[in-house]
Amino acid sequence: MTTSPSRALLIIVVVLVVGMLVPVGYVIEATARIGVSELAALLLRDRVGELLSNTVLILLLGVPITIVLGVGSAWLVERTDLPGRRFFSIVSVAPLAIPAFVSSYGWASVFPSIQGLGGGLLVATLAYYPLVYLPALATLRGLNPSLEESARSLGLREGAILLRVVIPQLRLAILGGGLIVALHLLAEYGAFAFIRFDTFTTAIVVAYQTTFAGPSAASLGIVLALLSVIVLGIEATARGRARYAYVGSASPRPAELVKLGKLAPLAIFALAVIGTLATVVPMTNVIRWSFATNPELLNDLWRALVDTSLLSLSGALGAIVVALPVAWLATRHPSRLSRVLEGGYSIASSLPAIIVALALVTVTLNVAPGLYQTTATVTAAYIIIFLPRALVTLRAGLAQVPESLEEAAQALGKPPLLARMRVTIPLLFPAIAAAGALVALGAANELTATLLLAPTGTRTLATQFWSAASSVDYPGAAPYAISLVLLSIPAVALLFAQTRGKTR
Amino acid sequence: MNLRISGVSKSFGTTPVLNDINLDVAQGSRTAIVGSSGCGKTTLLRLIAGFITPDRGEISLGSRVLSAPGHDVPAHRRGIGYVAQDGALFPHLTVAANIGFGHPRAGRAQRIREVMELTSLDATLATRYPHQLSGGQQQRVALARALAPRPEVVLLDEPFSALDTGLRERTRAAVITALERSGTTTVLVTHDQEEALSFGDGVAVMISGSLPQSGSPESVFGNPASVDIAALMGSVVLLPAVQVEHGVDSALGRISVRHDRSGGAESVVAMVRPAQVSLTADDSQCRASVVGVRHIGPVAVVALRTQGQHPTAISLTLPSHHTQSLQVGAVAGLTLDGGAVLYPASAAGRYLTDLEN
Amino acid sequence: MTATLAAALLLLSSCTGVTNSDDDGAVEGASAEALVVYNAQHEKLAEEWVEEFTAQTGIEVVLRNGGDSELSNQLVAEGDASRADVFLTENSPAMSLVENAGLFAPVDPATLDLVPEKYRPASGMWTGIAARSAVFVYNPELLDESELPSSILDLQSPSWKGKWGGAPSGADFQAIISAILETQGPEATAEWLTGMKDNATVYRNNIVTMKAVNAGEVAGGIIYHYYWFRDSDSGGENSGNTKLHYFGDQDPGAFVSISGGGVLKSSKNSVKAQQFLAFLAGVSGQTILGEGYSFEYPVGGDVPAKDPLPTLDSLNAPVIDPSKLNGPEVIDLIMQVGLL
Repeated sequence: MTTSPSRALLIIVVVLVVGMLVPVGYVIEATARIGVSELAALLLRDRVGELLSNTVLILLLGVPITIVLGVGSAWLVERTDLPGRRFFSIVSVAPLAIPAFVSSYGWASVFPSIQGLGGGLLVATLAYYPLVYLPALATLRGLNPSLEESARSLGLREGAILLRVVIPQLRLAILGGGLIVALHLLAEYGAFAFIRFDTFTTAIVVAYQTTFAGPSAASLGIVLALLSVIVLGIEATARGRARYAYVGSASPRPAELVKLGKLAPLAIFALAVIGTLATVVPMTNVIRWSFATNPELLNDLWRALVDTSLLSLSGALGAIVVALPVAWLATRHPSRLSRVLEGGYSIASSLPAIIVALALVTVTLNVAPGLYQTTATVTAAYIIIFLPRALVTLRAGLAQVPESLEEAAQALGKPPLLARMRVTIPLLFPAIAAAGALVALGAANELTATLLLAPTGTRTLATQFWSAASSVDYPGAAPYAISLVLLSIPAVALLFAQTRGKTR
Repeated sequence: MNLRISGVSKSFGTTPVLNDINLDVAQGSRTAIVGSSGCGKTTLLRLIAGFITPDRGEISLGSRVLSAPGHDVPAHRRGIGYVAQDGALFPHLTVAANIGFGHPRAGRAQRIREVMELTSLDATLATRYPHQLSGGQQQRVALARALAPRPEVVLLDEPFSALDTGLRERTRAAVITALERSGTTTVLVTHDQEEALSFGDGVAVMISGSLPQSGSPESVFGNPASVDIAALMGSVVLLPAVQVEHGVDSALGRISVRHDRSGGAESVVAMVRPAQVSLTADDSQCRASVVGVRHIGPVAVVALRTQGQHPTAISLTLPSHHTQSLQVGAVAGLTLDGGAVLYPASAAGRYLTDLEN
Repeated sequence: MTATLAAALLLLSSCTGVTNSDDDGAVEGASAEALVVYNAQHEKLAEEWVEEFTAQTGIEVVLRNGGDSELSNQLVAEGDASRADVFLTENSPAMSLVENAGLFAPVDPATLDLVPEKYRPASGMWTGIAARSAVFVYNPELLDESELPSSILDLQSPSWKGKWGGAPSGADFQAIISAILETQGPEATAEWLTGMKDNATVYRNNIVTMKAVNAGEVAGGIIYHYYWFRDSDSGGENSGNTKLHYFGDQDPGAFVSISGGGVLKSSKNSVKAQQFLAFLAGVSGQTILGEGYSFEYPVGGDVPAKDPLPTLDSLNAPVIDPSKLNGPEVIDLIMQVGLL
């Protein structure tokens, strides 16, 4: 039973969506401003061809590899009698705590010759496979084991069950995880810059550094934005009418575990190798270098921590404020309109951070110079980039606060506003806190938008790390790298707990 | 103060949900609205509570108009209690805090104790949280919470449907006792006709967004306005019948007529309840062959087929020990106690087809 | 519902507002008073300068760090709205870009007098504050001394395929190209760049280039001298296996690039900004260059270069007016051949 949303709520959401779509507007405006002929001159170059082939190749190769790694490890730790499953279930999520650019720096310091597409694939797939692992794990936990039992009783072997029953049910998790990986690959700058692998994003940063926010950066941005939209379109087509939904009811009993038998040592070996490559290799040198760090740096580190905390906190608050009305509209008044508005949000936040940053530089300079190089603008970028984290968490939280509770409070004589303050908000608080934490920790790791937009004099952990690492100052970069990893751990723990708790 | 609903209609989008509803609920009485799921009964309850507003019609409580075109008292000012299907207890509050939620601070603790006693809730539960309670306790807390502010009317939305059979009956009894003792006007919606019939003073039947009949439980069960209502209120035996002087002739022989709702139709059916039919050794008036016997613990369901011109299937639930001699294929005699209600045969078509198969 | 949301929005946005103002305060210090320097010089060098300047004058300075091209183009885009008071670069094309946009205020004549004419543009709209020399860094294990190129122009020949590297996305390298452009003309430059595209490995910056030569990934590379001296001074971890080759002979590869400093016309702190520039070009600032960590060449105040640097005059660099170096044209050429 749906009621129509109030006019004010709709107006708020529409205004927010329009705000969120500023980067999309920038891309369109840039296309028009530059004009077809100049755009063609800028884009029809061998160099752009190289970038395109690099970018497309890393998508075509990287996404399937992360899917295999992510689904494979999820299946091993959740559905087999693998010894040490619990340990490996944590090992497989751990790479998320290491920002990809830190991991890339770690790899480059161990093997300086890592470079190009191969290097990009190595670093990126190891950094991103947990993004597929987590949804796959959640789905596997929620799967009704009776489906597999039925298949078994119909005479299917384990392998066939995996392929014909389990994997098809993982379709949404695979598509969702694959989409996120693809968008990350498109947006990645730091990790690729370290190992001399050029994609559109790295080229845009170089173009920005060469000509500021000029036509050459914008024209590459247009192509990158198009690629993002194509990726979104492919995912939407493959998903069809199915929706991502949190399955409310848990599986009634745990599934029977598949016996690995003689394959167990092989599985342990595989997971151990992946885990080592993804965490131990990149971190060993970082930790080693941190002992060589000049203690005077600690003062700078402290300053960077303060700046980082303030910026990411304001990003988190902003993202909650912006996500709440849409989450409310989507859960309480689901309709075609609310889905369209939500779609607007998701398109905006699928654009790589570098485009968001370019757009905000251009827009603030030309339209609102007062906002140029202010905390407000960085905050806006964080909101646009990390909104999905807040939106998903708040939506799930709101869905768990049934409207009937508010109605009960009203029937007991509380006006609607008070009913919400006393019932919905307290119940929503854990979701608000989780959403805030996820956005804040994402913002703390953010590099590209922060580099372009931060107010003069601002130093975040990520920008300081970048500045030291760019001049190959390993001891100087190490403490920032370690701080970034330590900061990320709570967010990853939170994500992991959400994944596990949701279904059991 | 009577709760009066007159001419209320409601649509969601283009889908009409309620159509011209009229209902009077006398002060202090308990009325059950019964209907199958999706018939609109919960919507009616939510209209009374004030969570949604009617498209047309008026809802009033005594002389106070709660809802009329262009005038709508919001839910929190109606003084109408509401108990949702799942109880809707606030998960972040204790039992006591839940119950005291709608009561002014003054005298709150006292009132919490009173209503907990009224609803037979042990005082030690006061500090527990909802998830630490059983389903039956949760529903009684929900009722206690609704009663605490002394509402003039309490609305119950299928409050027992989530409970298992045994618990459901005990909780229902406890709730009815509490409501009786508090003297609160109550409207209950349910899909369970037994619950509706045993709940209180009035029953209203809802079918596809209309209320075709309301009245005392006895009148609605004994004199249903239509075959549909008859079937909704309990199992029926429908017999094609021929009108004769002082009654009708049917497969069960001559039956007296309690109520004639055929409206003078030429071809009629006679509705009797299975409980009116019993097995007898005397098969002179009506013979039926045993088609099947199914034992369910202490009782057995005996499927019979009358012999004669219009064979009719009748299924009787009898104590198991009365049925030991009945084998499939055996022939038994049937007698009928009490009279029938007549309906036009045209209105019974769908039920008759079912039976002939 | 609306009311709640509006309340929540108000509440949260006011929180954000508080955070913002706190943050601005923390970041910009006494922001009305502090000088804003758009700094494309090495952060560490700039910090050494700022520390000493603030100690001497009590004037607070905040740095916005970036590259030559990025910050110069940013200044042009910002125009009069810019919050910058002073602009410092590593190379002169970026200074010319800002000068040509008419955004500089003339430098105090007293400051200009501190710097010899050959290290500053005739216009007097900015001044040199440091100098650096292009060098060829090579790994003797991979390249015999006899095989060294006699001119940077040799590197375009097919015999050098796979044997050298450079960082064409950086302003440093682009300044060297601008010297080729100024001495050889656009066609020869385009040819040379095409040769580079075929022969050279592209690195992200000078340090990475030097590190690759040191690790033997590539035999030689074009960088600026001070990266090598700095690393060698701190233990030589990324340069220990390499040697430097100076082209000399007024070869474009012996190019000496002038780092510039200028005061923005739009500055609201122009007196302090001129004071800062005078400090940089004067003995205090130049001594930091000459004695500090930098290893760049001082250009003013007769401060000698740090040991063991060869003197600037001994490098026999080509004579080029710094204000003639054309940044945008170089970038266009680099883009045309596809190195960017």
